[in-house]
Amino acid sequence: MKVLAVCGFGVGSSMILKMTIEKAFRELGVEAKVVNSDISDVSGQKADAIFSSPDIIGDLERRFKSSDVKLYGIKKYSDVQEVKASVEKLLEAKDMK
Amino acid sequence: MQIAKSAKNHEEAIALAAKPLLEDDYITADYIDEMIQAIEDHGPYIVLADEFALPHARPGESVKKTGLSLLVLKEPVDLKGNPVRLFVVLAAKDSTSHNEVLKALAQFLMDKQNIQDVIACENTEDIKKILDERW
Repeated sequence: MKVLAVCGFGVGSSMILKMTIEKAFRELGVEAKVVNSDISDVSGQKADAIFSSPDIIGDLERRFKSSDVKLYGIKKYSDVQEVKASVEKLLEAKDMK
Repeated sequence: MQIAKSAKNHEEAIALAAKPLLEDDYITADYIDEMIQAIEDHGPYIVLADEFALPHARPGESVKKTGLSLLVLKEPVDLKGNPVRLFVVLAAKDSTSHNEVLKALAQFLMDKQNIQDVIACENTEDIKKILDERW
């Protein structure tokens, strides 16, 4: 499983989001590779899912309309509960739960 | 590190929070505008936790040295629908030099009590003590 954590610049918020996603996967006992990225660099990367802010996900939805990449909007990047709920949805979608 | 009573709006709060970095030559004034513009461009996702925001922009010519500054507002300011009282400004010279400090920050933020404890501080000495112990 590969997941992208995306923010506008790929240097600050996405790093925090990456840490939160990693913690959520750890707590759920699932292995995942989480990479942080900025919004302009997303298209070139292969991933099973993309986590970002609701605003950015809105933009990405158009770009990823015809792909099977799952997109999840996260309001508070350091909120483990919120991120974990989305990770659980992702695992369900991938039949891993 | 600063404590202030209030700010008119989030633009003023970010400029105030970044002031020490500007005065000590970590950033140029352009960086403050870039951080404010980023919120217009990408939305309020820098509000990483309740009452906490991490204003930052892309590493570039407006950052001379990697650094952080911190501002506590006694009264929350609205950041596009989110009340914020704790600001940590991130100035990153490149995309990796600050990774260790951000990892520590991520751990710190995951415990919501930490944010509330910093906000409750009456002086910067107390803030420093909390950060030394838990960040």
